[in-house]
Amino acid sequence: CNFQPVYGPGGSGEIIRNQIRVADPASRLEFELVARLEDRLGTGSNYMLDYVIDRTTRNLAIDEDAVINRINLVGTLTFTVREAGTGRTVQTGEVSTFTSYATTESPVATESARRDAEDRLAIALADQVVTRLIAGAASWS
Amino acid sequence: AQTTAPATLIADNIRFNGSTSVTARGAVEVFFEGSRLRAESITYDGSTDNLRVQGPLTLVDESGNAVFVADFAELSADLQNGVLQSARLVLDRQLQIAATEIVHTDGRYTQLYQAVASSCEVCFDHPTPLWEIRARRIIHDAEEQQLYFENAQFRVLGVPVFFLPRMRMPDPTLERATGFLAPSVSADDLTGTQLLVPYFIELGDHADITVTPWIGVGTQTVELRYRQAIRNGELEAEGAVSWDDLTNNATRAYLFADASFELPRAFTLDLQLQAVSDRGYLTTYGFNDPDTLESYARVSRVRRDEYVEASGTLYESLRDGVDNDTLPTRVAHAEITRRITPDLIGGTLTATLEGTGFYRYSTIDGDDGRDVFRVTGALDWRRSQTFGGLMATFEGALHGGVYNTQQDATFGSTVYRLTPYSAVELRYPMQATTATGVSHLIEPIAQLVWSNTFGDAPPNEDSFIVEFDEANLFSLDRLPGSDRRETGTRANIGLSYSRIAPGGWTVGVGAGVVLRREDEGQFTEGSGLNGLQSDFLMATHLSFSDQLSVANRSLFDSALNFTSSELSLAWSGDRHEVISTYTFLEADLGELRADPLAELAFDGEYALNSGWDAGLNFRYDFMDNEATRAGVTLGYRNECLDMEFSVSRRYTTSSTLEPATSFGLTVSLAGFGAGREGRSVSRSCRG
Amino acid sequence: QVDIGFGGVAFDDRQPVEVTADGLTLDQTTGEAIFTGNVIVVQGDLRMAAGAVRIVYGTQGNQDVSEVIATGGVLVTRGADAAEGGSARYDVASALLTLSGNVLVTQGPTAISGDSMVVNMRAGNGSVDGRVRTVLGGTD
Repeated sequence: CNFQPVYGPGGSGEIIRNQIRVADPASRLEFELVARLEDRLGTGSNYMLDYVIDRTTRNLAIDEDAVINRINLVGTLTFTVREAGTGRTVQTGEVSTFTSYATTESPVATESARRDAEDRLAIALADQVVTRLIAGAASWS
Repeated sequence: AQTTAPATLIADNIRFNGSTSVTARGAVEVFFEGSRLRAESITYDGSTDNLRVQGPLTLVDESGNAVFVADFAELSADLQNGVLQSARLVLDRQLQIAATEIVHTDGRYTQLYQAVASSCEVCFDHPTPLWEIRARRIIHDAEEQQLYFENAQFRVLGVPVFFLPRMRMPDPTLERATGFLAPSVSADDLTGTQLLVPYFIELGDHADITVTPWIGVGTQTVELRYRQAIRNGELEAEGAVSWDDLTNNATRAYLFADASFELPRAFTLDLQLQAVSDRGYLTTYGFNDPDTLESYARVSRVRRDEYVEASGTLYESLRDGVDNDTLPTRVAHAEITRRITPDLIGGTLTATLEGTGFYRYSTIDGDDGRDVFRVTGALDWRRSQTFGGLMATFEGALHGGVYNTQQDATFGSTVYRLTPYSAVELRYPMQATTATGVSHLIEPIAQLVWSNTFGDAPPNEDSFIVEFDEANLFSLDRLPGSDRRETGTRANIGLSYSRIAPGGWTVGVGAGVVLRREDEGQFTEGSGLNGLQSDFLMATHLSFSDQLSVANRSLFDSALNFTSSELSLAWSGDRHEVISTYTFLEADLGELRADPLAELAFDGEYALNSGWDAGLNFRYDFMDNEATRAGVTLGYRNECLDMEFSVSRRYTTSSTLEPATSFGLTVSLAGFGAGREGRSVSRSCRG
Repeated sequence: QVDIGFGGVAFDDRQPVEVTADGLTLDQTTGEAIFTGNVIVVQGDLRMAAGAVRIVYGTQGNQDVSEVIATGGVLVTRGADAAEGGSARYDVASALLTLSGNVLVTQGPTAISGDSMVVNMRAGNGSVDGRVRTVLGGTD
């Protein structure tokens, strides 16, 4: 199969770059997600991207003293892209991943590691969404 | 006289004889204000205004929740009063009450004599239901949605189990009412064998309390939960008090409360309180047990281009052998982040300003007593531009901070620091789509980053352990907090490949490495980021429609020995569900981990046939070659019963904890009280 | 207390029958009289209005009416009761009145509709057939 540059002429980059408005965030995680999506897609208003993030935490590496040494933030994001004028749905999808952080004795270090893991989860989910949009954009029109 | 609406009667044939009586035959239906009677034949006597109904007849009340089935009945024309012979009452298509005679009055009260109530399906091949309640009389009050039993006898498989002179149960449509909830049994070699009987108390429409006494041998415990919904927020508090002789303090208790309120101008106030009397209490009694208690008040607002937060937090570590006085347990924090699109230079400018104070109770000079107050700010500007197929991103950032340190002579009382960054990132993604709609995407990425710090190092409170994954492979600074900055000149190189088949297999593989011009020794072995060349990062995501999803992230060096590898698997079908994780971290004293850590966690459930389901969960530590937790559950549910038996063993020990095995049994009958949370199964007689 | 049944009291069918109509034609051979145009037949307190009425006399030549056939929309009323239908046939000997063609019978507040109705005028009872629909009760 013949590979074409995404941002080259006729590539799907033209269809998605500076065309999409991402839905407003309602949490810190979504704030970071919108920031990352706008960094990578630019901003526009021809398409509306709506998303729902379902997140859970998993306690791992529980040692014999019942101390939780590692925590996974698991995120599953389902998204819908709609054409602004007609409201027609042009693409839906679901992406999911996890980021982890280590707990330490200091609650401050643990909280800052948790927030860093939350930021990374937003970036990882956003990057997967961008990949899906690049793959699906050709069939939007 | 009170005007009563006319009742409508439809039939194949109506005979009227004399002036007062009419006989309707053939698929007769009578409608009256929503209630509906269907029968073979009905004789209406005008003089007494009532109906004599020949069965088999069904009478459905206006709400549709109560259906009477009988062979013969005498009813008033408005169907609100009457006597039915050898009849059955079916409530909310779930609970069936058979009776020799049913007297229905005022469309509200129904008295059922010599009644048998059960929500189990009764078929020819097994006529005795799994459970039934026989009673001399059952009164159903449709308005209060309650069922009152007189001389009730509870039978399981036809065998009488217990007898109650008086009993009240909610009818299947009742959402919320004061009363007992489904009891459960738990046995544990620490807390003894206990019967948990939750009692729900409704406090108006917006608040309730659930009191759950543990009745049994060994320890005495009462659990409490209070919930309240307010116009612009909600509050929930749960707690428990126990008396036992496992530790030297006789009374042990915990309280977890949290509330959130909407404030004007789109702000939200979140409050949380977590307190416990002693460290081992939560784990011993099986309550959810965080490592650290966190009580805070936080005001925050999230908007498209702005995040604002101000919070005060009090921590208490429950870890064994940790002295809370030497930990920064009191933290005050405020931050504002704004994203702006500058007119002249374009791109996006992210400006952040934050102030934080850490306070330790202890006043010992040095690590144990240090208090720090800091104000830091950051400006991060980035702009992307495409050149043909190449996407180039230029980024510049400036991070500055002023730190004031008390009770730690090794750090100057006030320290200033400034860290500029600059970076260029190049991406050249290429895409191909096959005829069958499968699309492939290859993306090489290269980024060159320079940063340097000017000023003295402040105490490191928030940047102990660094993670390395595909999300921060191309970030300007991988340190989690702001007390330490990543410096030096480094090249981040990555290549990602994705294969996306909508509905079929979707694969994503990302690889990366960090090359540094000089090793500033900022990272520990365990992070994979140390040395001139970092470990190789490999992140793999694999999914097949929504049944299987596997994600792995590994760090390994060129000799293929692993620094860390984390795998997560979620696999579900219509009869099974499995969630499993494997975590391996090599030993790293920098991360206070003397020996490697390797753990497999597994949680699976399989639906056997005819309503049974079995579950297995365990957590296995490869280093100590033993399980830290293991458990088995066995559940049975059908249209009238929901039962779950579980046994689990916890092997963790500490000065306040010993290994413990606990059993659990919950049984809940369907048909009493609404809300079966989807565990209901409808079953019909086969053959 | 609701009365069902037509008129409640037995109907005296020996009273004279009075017929008014726009036009009348006599047919000697069949011995039938055909009234056309706003025909009204009255006997005692029973009154029948119809588009056209055909009176069939007995064959024994004694001028007795054996059958009254009304067509073109019939309305029969007696006291508080009324019945209407597409067409009606009243057999004097058996005192059976048969109405057919979406029949509607009303007695005070009670109404019965059906495809056909047979009423024994002398006994005051009868039956309605064919997906009958009635409204019971509804006293004031």
